[in-house]
Amino acid sequence: MHLPDRVSGAILAGLGALAAYGGSRLPPVPGQDVGPNVFPMVVGAGLILCGVLIAFGIGRSFEAPEEDPGAAVPAAGSLAARLVGLRALLPPALLLLYVLVVERLGFLPTAAVLVLVTALALGARLRLALPLAAAAPLAVHAVFSKLLRVPLPDGMLPAPW
Amino acid sequence: MSGVLDALAQIAALDVLLAILAASVYGMVIGALPGLTATMATALLVPITFYLPPIAAVATIIAASAMAIFSGDIPGALLRIPGTPASAAYTDEAYAMTRKGQAETALGISLWFSAIGGIVGTLALMAMAPALAEIALSFSSFEYFWLALLGLMCATLVARSSPVKAIAAMLIGLLISCIGIENPAGTPRFTFGVTDLLGGIEVIPALVGVFAISEVMRAMVSAEAPPIPRRRLGSILRGQWALTRRYQVPMWRGNILGVLVGVLPGAGADMAAWIGYSVSKRFSKEREKFGTGHPEGLVEAGAANNSALASAWVPALLFGIPGDTITAIAIGVLYMKGLNPGPTLFTERADSMYALYLIFIFANILMIPLGIATIRLATHVLRAPRAAVLPVIVLLSVVGAFAIGNNIFAVVVAAAFGLLGFVMERNGYPVAAMVLGIIMGSMLETHFVTSLIKSDNSLLPFFERPIAAVLATIAAAALLWPVVAWTLRRRARATAAA
Repeated sequence: MHLPDRVSGAILAGLGALAAYGGSRLPPVPGQDVGPNVFPMVVGAGLILCGVLIAFGIGRSFEAPEEDPGAAVPAAGSLAARLVGLRALLPPALLLLYVLVVERLGFLPTAAVLVLVTALALGARLRLALPLAAAAPLAVHAVFSKLLRVPLPDGMLPAPW
Repeated sequence: MSGVLDALAQIAALDVLLAILAASVYGMVIGALPGLTATMATALLVPITFYLPPIAAVATIIAASAMAIFSGDIPGALLRIPGTPASAAYTDEAYAMTRKGQAETALGISLWFSAIGGIVGTLALMAMAPALAEIALSFSSFEYFWLALLGLMCATLVARSSPVKAIAAMLIGLLISCIGIENPAGTPRFTFGVTDLLGGIEVIPALVGVFAISEVMRAMVSAEAPPIPRRRLGSILRGQWALTRRYQVPMWRGNILGVLVGVLPGAGADMAAWIGYSVSKRFSKEREKFGTGHPEGLVEAGAANNSALASAWVPALLFGIPGDTITAIAIGVLYMKGLNPGPTLFTERADSMYALYLIFIFANILMIPLGIATIRLATHVLRAPRAAVLPVIVLLSVVGAFAIGNNIFAVVVAAAFGLLGFVMERNGYPVAAMVLGIIMGSMLETHFVTSLIKSDNSLLPFFERPIAAVLATIAAAALLWPVVAWTLRRRARATAAA
């Protein structure tokens, strides 16, 4: 997910332009010059300026030298490297999966899937991942649902308490 | 005096003491695990504080953050991996001591001077906050606008990255804070017709995303830290008293420096540690020993980051302006518990403030025995593989984000901010600046728009009141500082070349 400064700067400038445009279209407060439109326009203008500066590489000299991303990433370009890169997207994807299925499936099974997949993706053996996927959801459910009364959905598998 | 006794009674309650103890152990462990930061510990704690009485809630935040800032030094000293960013300034120095076989001394320095720094910072908080509250009572929207802006500018200076990118990150945060109907006219802004966005982006789920989910994402593509090597540690506190006497000057300088940095809105423990370490090196009589495992810099920086942690509560309590990401979360908890920050807090809720001071002192004393236990257990407990720890963090993030408002959309917010934080970090945009932008956006906007309406769209009154003018000057200096630094560096290089 490393973007050249030119690209990230351009994205920011575009975002700033959209914000300023969107802000300028907001309805004004009757009888008042300053309304909800001023702040987005100021922020948008700032973003355009920063985006342009970044795209032209200004301020680069202040950045700390890039860290070594770690040995887990194999040689770039290979299929394996691309798959490893995609693995980073797993946590947010799991969160979205949780949102989609938790009502129907219930908290315990969904949470177990989350824990199991994350553990396996981080290289855990099944001997560690399976007990963890069984125990962690129960413990979290006990604390949040039982003690703190957070309404975690029962779904297909209600908790034993 | 009765206020102090009331406060004592408040924190002597069993639930408060238990909350402090549990939060301390939790903070110690999370801070000591490499990759899990003090901010993550605090953010994941908030959903729990939601269900606690006010004093216990604030106590857990104080205790967990103080412990995590200290215990971040443990993997720093033993593995050369800072547990939290505030330890990064002196990690190399501490690791050099470990290589010389002085691991216990290095860890002892961290522990002992952290506790002293924390207590000095608390005393400074007790002395300064009520006095500043008197002044703050006369502040108008102009002063508040400049204070908020100054806080944001300081946050961009803290980041050790391109100042332009830091400012851009902060602006992204401000833009995010525009979402919703919480604006001067109550018009839905940037909601794109999504009902869930009408209330704006909730801060805690966003923080959980930025500090917990994106951390797990980073772990997915990086190599696991090596396990902490088993080693026998000698007495941890032995020799600390001698070091205290020997390095009195750096210790006090570090304490005072930490207090000053902490009081600045927008600057906190991370910045205090970096400045403390470099100041210590600059004024040391044995400068050549720095980097080879010399205790002097550790003393000063270790004292500085913990005293900054306490004094960062001054702007947080007085103005609702966070000194760092931890106090940013704490401010959210204060609002949630009806302890709204502001100068009147010190007159109307004086007993709560005394209780807060006492909790700080208590937590810093508790830090010493707990810290020794954590250091002793570090070589065993901290061998837990991240494949066992991070899945639980993901689960806690999901449930924590949901529990804040029993709102499933918050989990989507956490996922989105996890992705955003990950991409920003990868490309050198400091996420802490964005977080402060999100938190202070509506405050900045309210005071900006109120001031503009008061002044009939003229910018002149922003500079007319004396305190406003001073704050404006400092904010402008913070904005121009990178340019000055760049020119100086260029000139130095030119003279060196000539």
